[in-house]
Amino acid sequence: MSPSVAYGTDIDERTKAAEQSSTDVLTAPDIPWNLVIWNDPVNLMSYVSYVFQSYFGYSESKAHKLMMEVHKKGRSIVAHGSKEQVEQHAVAMHGFGLWATVEKAASGNETPGKGGRQRG
Amino acid sequence: MAKAFKYGLKGISGYLEPAERDLLRGLLDDVISMLESDVRENEDPLAALIGLDMDVKQPSDRALLRLLPNVMKDDDGGSLEFRQLTERSVRENKIGALRAAALGLDKNELVLTPEDATRWSMALNDVRLVLAERLDIRDEADAEHIHSMQDWSQAEDVESYLALVYNFTTWLQESLVQAMMAARQAKS
Repeated sequence: MSPSVAYGTDIDERTKAAEQSSTDVLTAPDIPWNLVIWNDPVNLMSYVSYVFQSYFGYSESKAHKLMMEVHKKGRSIVAHGSKEQVEQHAVAMHGFGLWATVEKAASGNETPGKGGRQRG
Repeated sequence: MAKAFKYGLKGISGYLEPAERDLLRGLLDDVISMLESDVRENEDPLAALIGLDMDVKQPSDRALLRLLPNVMKDDDGGSLEFRQLTERSVRENKIGALRAAALGLDKNELVLTPEDATRWSMALNDVRLVLAERLDIRDEADAEHIHSMQDWSQAEDVESYLALVYNFTTWLQESLVQAMMAARQAKS
């Protein structure tokens, strides 16, 4: 993502604050599909964070944490659900211009909301 | 010169000079025509009505593919099936947002409702995605290089001109998103 020129100075502080917050919404283990957002060098960090807040209703700190995960790790699982649910989210994300894919959840070795490595 | 979007008593407002409005209108129109370019007349009116497009293909143009990405990383069949069901409506939504933004460019002072602001942010983002493909921005280093070009006296060829246009739309969108966040915080 592209950091902002004028507003991007407090990112480190905000990351520290975000790390202390919980990710309780994204813990249901038995739902089989993930919505993944991928990093790209164009989308503004602020915009991605705003979309996570306004579309998913995530708190500012949670949206920021997920956005930073996309930025630093290259991808983040930002929601999960049935195939139909995550596909509907993907349509919305493509509408916002975010690079979203859906994938079957790996069996227990990737915790949703905490990102991780790309599936082989 | 344009003034950054801000959130205030009137809601979200911004200011653009006529030349800047013409520039933006041109960019918005370009992306609209890209998205409209291969929308075909569908033979089956019912399929068209519910948004199906069985003849759809993965876009060959990189910029268009960035606007309409594959939904599965390693499953072309699954991605194509998803396109058949959804691409038409994604295109139409994008075109709707781009048109709304273009229509709002009829005066220097822009005052946006929350819905206007959302459409504007989506439209500006799509414009930036397309410009970035044309500028070959592939990674953060490319983005930084483009970003370093801020002086309009540097505009000596198409690429440097595009880079300055890209930076202008980036600046405009950043200010819009900050204003949208301020509006959101003021409500909660």
